[in-house]
Amino acid sequence: MPDPEHDGRPVNPQTGKPLPPLAQPGYYPRFSTLSQKEFWDEATRNLVLTRIEKIPPIRFFSPEEAHLMTAVCDRILPQDDRDEHHKIPIVNSIDERLYEDRLDGYRFDGMPTDQEAHRLGLQGIAEVAQHMFRKPFVDLSPLDQEAVLRTLHDGQPPAGHNIWGRMSVSRYWLLLVQDVVGAYYAHPFAWDEIGFGGPAYPRGYMRLEGGEPEPWEVNERRYAWAAPPGSPSAQFNPVGGSAEHKGSPGQGGTH
Amino acid sequence: MKKPLFRTLEAPQGVHMLGAIQRLDLAMRRYKSSEQVDYCIVGVGSAGGVLLQRLARAGFSVVGLEAGPFWDTERDWVSDEAGSYNLYWNELRITGGKDPLALGANNSGKGVGGGSVHWAGFTPRLHPSDFRVHSEDGVGVDWPISYDEIKPYYDLLEKEIPVSGPAYFPWGDPHGYPYGPHPMGGCGDIMIKGCTKLGIRVSIGGPVAILAGSHGDRPHCIYRGFCIQGCKVGAKQSTLISHVPDGLAHGAEIRDHCMASRINLGKDGRVTGVTYFDPNGHEVEQKAKAIIVCGYAIETPRLLLNSACPGHENGLANSSGTVGRYLMAQAGNVVLGRFEELVRMYKAPPAHALTEEFYETDPKRGFARGFAVQTVGPLPISFARQMMVAKGAWGWGMRQVMMDYNHWGAIALLGEILPWEDNRVELATEKDRNGIPVAKVTFNLHDNDKRMIEYGKNKVMEIMQAAGAEEVVQEARYAHLVGGARMGNDSRTSVVDKFGRTHDIPNLFVCDGSIMPTQGSANPGLTIQALAARTADYLISQQSEAFTGSTRGTKPPAIRYDLSPPDTWGKGVPRLT
Repeated sequence: MPDPEHDGRPVNPQTGKPLPPLAQPGYYPRFSTLSQKEFWDEATRNLVLTRIEKIPPIRFFSPEEAHLMTAVCDRILPQDDRDEHHKIPIVNSIDERLYEDRLDGYRFDGMPTDQEAHRLGLQGIAEVAQHMFRKPFVDLSPLDQEAVLRTLHDGQPPAGHNIWGRMSVSRYWLLLVQDVVGAYYAHPFAWDEIGFGGPAYPRGYMRLEGGEPEPWEVNERRYAWAAPPGSPSAQFNPVGGSAEHKGSPGQGGTH
Repeated sequence: MKKPLFRTLEAPQGVHMLGAIQRLDLAMRRYKSSEQVDYCIVGVGSAGGVLLQRLARAGFSVVGLEAGPFWDTERDWVSDEAGSYNLYWNELRITGGKDPLALGANNSGKGVGGGSVHWAGFTPRLHPSDFRVHSEDGVGVDWPISYDEIKPYYDLLEKEIPVSGPAYFPWGDPHGYPYGPHPMGGCGDIMIKGCTKLGIRVSIGGPVAILAGSHGDRPHCIYRGFCIQGCKVGAKQSTLISHVPDGLAHGAEIRDHCMASRINLGKDGRVTGVTYFDPNGHEVEQKAKAIIVCGYAIETPRLLLNSACPGHENGLANSSGTVGRYLMAQAGNVVLGRFEELVRMYKAPPAHALTEEFYETDPKRGFARGFAVQTVGPLPISFARQMMVAKGAWGWGMRQVMMDYNHWGAIALLGEILPWEDNRVELATEKDRNGIPVAKVTFNLHDNDKRMIEYGKNKVMEIMQAAGAEEVVQEARYAHLVGGARMGNDSRTSVVDKFGRTHDIPNLFVCDGSIMPTQGSANPGLTIQALAARTADYLISQQSEAFTGSTRGTKPPAIRYDLSPPDTWGKGVPRLT
């Protein structure tokens, strides 16, 4: 039996055994958005292929920060169920955004710049890890790393108060998580995982109702899996603790 | 794999694709900046695009300054969520107050077409009651015009856009649409099911500014779902593709990547020109006989405030102190429901069904005014960010809920937040890359707003449950921006008159969402374009009086049906208009 304290892999809920890493987790076996790339317009094809083929170098984070940030991203969006060839790079695209100073168009009053917020946040995470486990964050087991991050999610980090006094821990948490999911779900591997059809111009979609797949999409085939036993991130809790976090409006445009 | 059906659609250098068919030769007329043109329009978006087209067609010399790019939809836009970040106003703004607004991708466009490039395209009209909310409900303020004054412009713009929707739209002033309704997607089916079960009427397949059939050199919708990432198809209207080409054909010039920094005032109290940073970062002044600011609810007040000068220490056109005040956003809580069966909400335009059954004041609900309920269709990144807040998802929980993306559907509140003096745009201490002070936005919900949101949010969740969702969660958010330079009859409490002319300066005009005194529960895009067409008719009717302002005409202009872009007439079957 693997030691659940030191194994971050999800498990088969029936047997409790870790699932083997897959080329393509998710319920859409052999669905491949990239297989349709000849049907995409040129600008979109170039953009998506560049995204997966030319991973930007780390230029904003220092080597130490990048090391820590990688460990953090591995828990914000764990990929232990993906094999080595199908992991989605996350830190590089966040680093690129910060290096190129690509803003989201606003900054909350009282928050530092996104660049400074990410730097401060990493310091805060390092301090919480030392406080809770007397070890650097990167040396902790996946579950202990999650326990550290859970305190930020709950808005109750037990250390690093010099940092959280300078920026709201909940605003930092939302900045961090939104940057991480923004990188992961921009990748065709993630689209295949969740069954999203991806780019669709100039061909378009024709089966709009009833969740029907296009001829080149596939039907869902579900399997049972569960987060590693004891994983704090497997439970759903409001950001900032019991009360719904106030003052963090939705980011993306919907209407 | 089968061979793709399509050749490349990219055009040769110097020619822009505006959608999959329309081509635009950019060899436009060029004015010297020292040459005094009739009109300089700051911001070529929803209002600026319509004004530029109208004024050029009527024979005036017009230069439009646009801070963002002149898009080539084939080269510059992508069918990709993350790759569309450059459609939005991404420069720094500071957002604060008790209930701070998200800006950027949420509500602010940049580039020719402005917000109409990334709107979802819902085009409901305001209701007649919206123009009299103070008289009827004792809240907000009345408009200086009535519904009847804007109605012919709604009729006209619905044809010019043109709008697809049902033959009979039952709310407000009932009317029908020139192009037929769209087929349903997954979220529309949820709306129908939930609303029908609760006995709520629902409008399906529109009204949206998305073509249900081809129109001139614009193809019909292909239902790919990337409306708010910019419609590469050219089916969804933006002024970039509907009005700007006709404006250029009639001699208008658009200078893209030109950021206005101040409006200059002459000794006679009239404005003389606009100073802007050209694409190389050099400061240039364009002289004009009249200036129309069309920068939307944040950039318009910012420019007026940044143009403070002796005699106008608090900003141009701000003797009332209301520039930047009475900023409004609509409550836009997104309600997400998980269904046993698949939904695949990424297909079809996010905007395709709505109800206005709760639009008007109902004293039994305990608040003034009301809300609409509309379909939305978040793509994966937006959906993940909604789950981050709605369920507090991260880590394995995020992976798990995202694997169920195709089981979720989304509908949203669109609720009327009232105009409040303390919701405002000011100048921050921070500066942009050109050294221009950026905007600081303050936003606070008041009691009536909070009661409306609570009631409305619960109603939308009830609809989602009635549709059969097994789990229902919601994310608080806001949609759209209006106000900040409101129109009114009283120069002590408003910035512009009912035609968009500033009370203080006779040849300075404002025309965009910022002039709206209240917002109703209708998406503002159609109203902004209709107001722009009306202001254009006014300016044209004033002829040179618009430049000198020696007399201030107050008579509503005759509507000019001869100034529409080509392909407007003889299309579709307008009903009940």
